[in-house]
Amino acid sequence: MLQIKPILAALKRHKAGTILIALQIALTLAIVCNALFIIQQRLDRIARPTGMIETDLLTLQNRWVGVDDEKTGPLIRADVQAIRQLPGVEDAISINSYPLRGGGWSTGVRTNPDAKKSETHTTQYFVDDHALATMGLKLVAGRNFRSDEIVEMDPKAVVASSQIMVTKTLADKLFPDGSGLGKVVYVDDGTKPSTIIGIVERLEVPWNSSWSDTFLDNAVLLPYQLTGGGTSYMVRSKPGQLAAITKSVPETLYKLNRMRVIPSERGVRTYDVVRAQAYKSDRGMAILMGVVCLVLLAITAAGIVGLTSFWVGQRRKQIGVRRALGATQRDILSYFMTENLLIGVAGVVVGALLAIGMNLWLVTQFEMARLSLVYVAVGVVALLLLGQGAVLAPAMRAARVPPVEATRSV
Amino acid sequence: MLKMTHLSKVYRTEVVETYALRDFNINVKEGEFVAVTGPSGSGKTTFLTIAGLLETFTGGEYHLDGVEVSNLNDNARSKIRNEKIGFIFQAFNLIPDLNVFDNVEVPLRYRGMKAAERKQRIMDALERVGLASRAKHYPAELSGGQQQRVAIARALAGSPRLLLADEPTGNLDTQMARGVMELLEEIHREGATIVMVTHDPELAARAQRNVHIIDGQVVDLAEDPRFHHAVHAARNNAPA
Repeated sequence: MLQIKPILAALKRHKAGTILIALQIALTLAIVCNALFIIQQRLDRIARPTGMIETDLLTLQNRWVGVDDEKTGPLIRADVQAIRQLPGVEDAISINSYPLRGGGWSTGVRTNPDAKKSETHTTQYFVDDHALATMGLKLVAGRNFRSDEIVEMDPKAVVASSQIMVTKTLADKLFPDGSGLGKVVYVDDGTKPSTIIGIVERLEVPWNSSWSDTFLDNAVLLPYQLTGGGTSYMVRSKPGQLAAITKSVPETLYKLNRMRVIPSERGVRTYDVVRAQAYKSDRGMAILMGVVCLVLLAITAAGIVGLTSFWVGQRRKQIGVRRALGATQRDILSYFMTENLLIGVAGVVVGALLAIGMNLWLVTQFEMARLSLVYVAVGVVALLLLGQGAVLAPAMRAARVPPVEATRSV
Repeated sequence: MLKMTHLSKVYRTEVVETYALRDFNINVKEGEFVAVTGPSGSGKTTFLTIAGLLETFTGGEYHLDGVEVSNLNDNARSKIRNEKIGFIFQAFNLIPDLNVFDNVEVPLRYRGMKAAERKQRIMDALERVGLASRAKHYPAELSGGQQQRVAIARALAGSPRLLLADEPTGNLDTQMARGVMELLEEIHREGATIVMVTHDPELAARAQRNVHIIDGQVVDLAEDPRFHHAVHAARNNAPA
């Protein structure tokens, strides 16, 4: 039976408690909506594909010790050859960086050599003809590098290559009509033309911070074997052999040449570890926000339980009178549930406006994305359900108040 | 209208059984105005709570308006309370958060009555007790006598078959008590069945019949000489 009018009339006489709980619901909704939105954004980032096949992938950081930088070329080639011949290894490359590594090369790229400004930014990966197989990239147009096209390159003297591969995102950005294959571009703000000979479906930049979000999938692959003191290796294992090669690859490299350091920390990492470490802060933020949400929801639920329990205790006699006048246990239960629903509705209306306002402030202050109204809708439903759940126990206690309570004087 | 036969009510604890009513028999006919009297702790209020289906009883039979109520479930008892019984409590028991109109409306809402009919009945009941002009007032804004009149209006609004009054003037001064009593008498003259619990011999004398309870049993009024004398005195002094 609907009792909205008398409940509203009664609530008007208990303004302080009503307003406090409604405000608590409103603030919880506003914070929880925005926190859930942030969590979802972080989870989306964490789940973002790199474009590589990440299973069975191993990375190594190698630093030569006591070897001149310009003499590292043959050593790197020997390392790669030795790794490729190991049992359990599918393929391997040396590379200047890789997605989620955190550091790499970035540069501008233009289609017009006379343009003063780059049309977009891109990262540069220096690889050989084994990169597609090792990294698990999907070639969607053109061809891979040939082995005879690979050039040894001093990192201090890198110039544009006449042949490059690019990601589809970058090709489409430079040539929106989809005709990037075979076209000439100018990388690294130079005037030497580079012809796009191949397009890979996707390959993320090495950074996962917000500054690279505008060119996240812009990558150029250059057929260079980079020399220098520090070298990264990527190794693809045969299925199920990753654990074995994680041990055998560094052992083999040390046997081959001891004039090196493979750091114990971050020196040998499966790609799962790379991903986990790269997104550690995002995961931490998501967990923190999740905990904040849970604590807030728990406090709000406790507040509702507390206030309703107080009201039930305070109105025990009144409940007895209602029962004496014909209210069933269901009527009493429904009274308290409806009362909570009315407070909850007032709270979520204010909370929804607060949530949107809070998000607009975050948008202007921290360049956050606009809050989807779906989060507000889900939050509204969740808070109302939470309220109904929290009020259930005290409401049931109220329903059990016997009608004879009406005749008791205390 | 109200018939209890060999009814008993026992309160049990781990170590003791207390008989509040024992072999209790009463028969109130339709249209009667019965005053139930007795000393404190005699079982008057227990009788009233059982009569009003506010409490269950331990043994015996109770027929209310022809219905044996001992086996009814909580919902059925609530329905009977709502439709057949009107309560008037000593402490008025108005709901302080609701105004006079809303207080009188409470039992009608539980009956599921439509708004227009509710409004009509509420205004009729309030006019009958002379408080139609106070419909928007809250209980705290009324005198004790006015509050009890509102409680009577609440009891009357549902057109009950039986009015149960528990010390209806117990919290009122003499003048207000007289007014409330006159109202009850007027309601009785219009055909209502009233059972009133009181320990006031003067009020008991104004009822058609007295039922005296001692130690949880109905006894002949003559068995309680002091009360018997007081009631007789009150009847003799009553205006013709």
